[in-house]
Amino acid sequence: MMSDPVTFFFEGEALSARNGQSLAAALTDAGQRVFRHTGKGSPRGVFCGMGVCQDCLVSVDGQPNQRACMTLARDGALVQRQVARPELESKADFDGKPAQPLAARELTPDVLVIGGGAGGLNAAAVAASAGASVLVLDERKVAGGQYFKQPAADAPLLDAQQSDGADLLAAAREAGAELLGGVEIWGAFAGPLLYAVAPDGTPLVLRPKQLIVATGAYERPCMVPGWTLPGVMTTGAAQTLWRSYRSLPGRRVAVCGSGPLNLQVALELARGGAEVRLVAESAPSPLKRPASAMALLLAGPKLALAGSGMLLGLRRAGVPVHYDTGLAAIAANTDGSLRATFRRNGREETTELDALCMNDGFEPQNEILRLLGADMHYDPAFGHLRCTRTDSLSTSVDGVYAVGDCCGLGGAPAAAAEGRIAGAAAAAACGFATHEDLWSSRQALAGARRFQKRLWALHDPAPRNLDTLPDDTLICRCEEVTLGQFRNGMADDADHIGTVKRVTRVGMGCCQGRYCGPVAARLVANATGRSLTDHSYFAPRVPIKPVSIGTLMATQEALDAKA
Amino acid sequence: MPKPELLIVGGGITGLCAAISAAQQGARVTLVDAAVNAGTTANAGSLHVQLQSRFMRLYPEQAPNVEASLPLYLRAVREWDALEATHGPFEMVRKGGLMLAEDAEQLAFLETKARREADKGLDVEILDRAALERIAPWLGPQIIGAELCRDEGKLNPLAANIRLQAVARSLGVSLVRDRITSLLIGSDVQLRGETDSYRADQVIIAAAWGAGDLVSGLGLALPSRAEPLHMNITEPAAAGIEHLIQHAERSITLKQLQSGQIVIGGGWPAQSRGNHAVPEVLATSMLGNVALAGRLVPGITGLRVIRTWAGMNTTIDGKTALGRLAGAERVIVAVPGDAGYTLGPLVGRLAAELAGDVPGDVDIAPFSLARFAA
Repeated sequence: MMSDPVTFFFEGEALSARNGQSLAAALTDAGQRVFRHTGKGSPRGVFCGMGVCQDCLVSVDGQPNQRACMTLARDGALVQRQVARPELESKADFDGKPAQPLAARELTPDVLVIGGGAGGLNAAAVAASAGASVLVLDERKVAGGQYFKQPAADAPLLDAQQSDGADLLAAAREAGAELLGGVEIWGAFAGPLLYAVAPDGTPLVLRPKQLIVATGAYERPCMVPGWTLPGVMTTGAAQTLWRSYRSLPGRRVAVCGSGPLNLQVALELARGGAEVRLVAESAPSPLKRPASAMALLLAGPKLALAGSGMLLGLRRAGVPVHYDTGLAAIAANTDGSLRATFRRNGREETTELDALCMNDGFEPQNEILRLLGADMHYDPAFGHLRCTRTDSLSTSVDGVYAVGDCCGLGGAPAAAAEGRIAGAAAAAACGFATHEDLWSSRQALAGARRFQKRLWALHDPAPRNLDTLPDDTLICRCEEVTLGQFRNGMADDADHIGTVKRVTRVGMGCCQGRYCGPVAARLVANATGRSLTDHSYFAPRVPIKPVSIGTLMATQEALDAKA
Repeated sequence: MPKPELLIVGGGITGLCAAISAAQQGARVTLVDAAVNAGTTANAGSLHVQLQSRFMRLYPEQAPNVEASLPLYLRAVREWDALEATHGPFEMVRKGGLMLAEDAEQLAFLETKARREADKGLDVEILDRAALERIAPWLGPQIIGAELCRDEGKLNPLAANIRLQAVARSLGVSLVRDRITSLLIGSDVQLRGETDSYRADQVIIAAAWGAGDLVSGLGLALPSRAEPLHMNITEPAAAGIEHLIQHAERSITLKQLQSGQIVIGGGWPAQSRGNHAVPEVLATSMLGNVALAGRLVPGITGLRVIRTWAGMNTTIDGKTALGRLAGAERVIVAVPGDAGYTLGPLVGRLAAELAGDVPGDVDIAPFSLARFAA
């Protein structure tokens, strides 16, 4: 289905990939699951599939720190497992600063949109239609976001969800928005002033008149012993492997956690040819809660029917959905396959798997908003921060709007409506009147929010209680800090997450606390009896994602040259 | 709880070491810490001895005081040696510090500086490029020479702080979280905090930049200033850099911790948001500081910076403030001044010995508070 197969080398072995496949997908197809070992020798592979966890790092043509999930498999590429602690001397030979630093691009669009998903693309389309100059930055080479997940290269569109995304991308472009893919934003400062790096290494300095943050969310894992093993990945990572690259995460698969994405992806993987052994949903069956199910149907008949269609599809595909069922532990067999233990009504059941997909809710990607000082409040129902916004989706920071799941989970339809409202407001703030039908967008937003509320009433969006987890459960993937070490670290002085961080090193690694942070914040809040606020989390700090010293040098040199 | 004989305001490295020393003398000690912008918790672990070019450039009027204090710095790193031996490991490495020169003028400056430092007893030597090549082959090709100060070193302040807190606890020191806002001297010292009030026979004020405000009502104009500074840390690399790296003219410290991570700092500013809020990291400091590091040590350019942070350094007048307060002798001030983390253990111990009337091994008369009498 895709043309031009490419050949690359992994640890010296020739492997083939389809054109446009990510390294993570091509390696998964080849049965390679271990992409690197940590400093303590633990194997790691694909986990988040979206550039967050920093666990799938490989070196490509001598350049370290390439996230396999975000890097295309190029013909002839020499790919190696990342060394945990590379030699300094050899460091000068690869990466390094370019001999002639690439000139920095200073960009001053009327409206800068960060994130090319449902919210960002709608915002861009509306603002650009109004006449504003609009730039959309996306971390992925192909925009679309987690919901619209676009296919790689020349693969055909899979279904309506992908073709809707393609239409939205086309609409944003046609309206005149400029889309830049593969852009890593590492700095956000008052102004707003943002720093980023383009895929070719060009430093970007961004001074927009108005900023729309639409950075989405990442997935909350099921933190149990073994959750860092290769083959264990987020449901979204497995979905990207399939929807964008037509790779299956493994032959025998299970999906666990809570929420509709798990059901959807289980069905997609089953239809794609995986043997999906079960879906474990921690919430009770909707059949046990007919009133809630009926409420959902009334709030959104079309989506609710689509949901029951998924359940029906799973039944037809022979995939059992176990409700009231949670993941208890994961162990690795000697051949690298997995043994997952699920717990249901106090009974444990073990399943042999090649891949285990987990999604236990979402965490907003609110780093830019927190760095800029936007007001946040804690939502106990979803267990994460929500960004405080006005009706026109502006934050407490002048000229900064926020839309979609980065403000707290709301789903793609809500993000789309929010994007249209914020796009119109941002354009208006630059002096461009819009013909956007705001009334319709507000109606759509209200409807989408109503539906989300009912939808999650059938699932289990609040974070798990960790009290019953064993001490040897890792809570910090990067620094490999266990729950037991964290509990000990809190024993003397649990006053603030920062104090426990300094004692345990939790959150000091390359994912910058994205997985342990929410858990650590809750543990400290429980220990101190304080309610959670923005201040309960790790202090927001640059860089937003790890950034090479070479990139910072090129940025500084380009700024010097300009001055 | 019986009234403590000694209450220490400030739980940073100075207060902690004062508490340990006083408890070892047998005193009942309470340590009250506000946990706000403590320099110690943001410290990056340099053990400074030689004159920092940053300090001489920014505060030239204080340079004579700093130079006069050099012997104290020497004593201070030996104090760290002793602490490491007794309570470590703090991942301490004392292989020396290199202050780099990129041109003849900088090298000449280092030569003059080295002569003056040698007069004060420091173990210093000027190295040419060939000599540098043997111990630091990873330096950029433009480095023509350096001053090596063998007394300098580095440690992991996180490890040291945790260990020393545990030691203080094991000695029965009572650790309290509160911000002391005022002192009243009577037949004892009464202290008011934000959440509680306290009494003690004697008080040591080891509150760094916060010390000046606390003693301003007691007839002392202590010019303790908070200086928000910027720091960066990279992902780990294989061990390769043993020395503490500085520059003859520009602000930088660079060192590799035992974790393999490179810490880059050295006095680039952060934006103050008031003394009681965490300072804000500045883009200009991050870019300037890291770019300078990459230029001096090209071998690190492939590494990624994973975090930056800002913390409060404290400056006074280039010299430690240590002594009893005239007219309020129950109060002892112990503020190391610049390079507070290096000087903290020694200054803390000397303050505790002063409180306990134990004859010390260092003449503290030069650090007397008399120079700040209002």
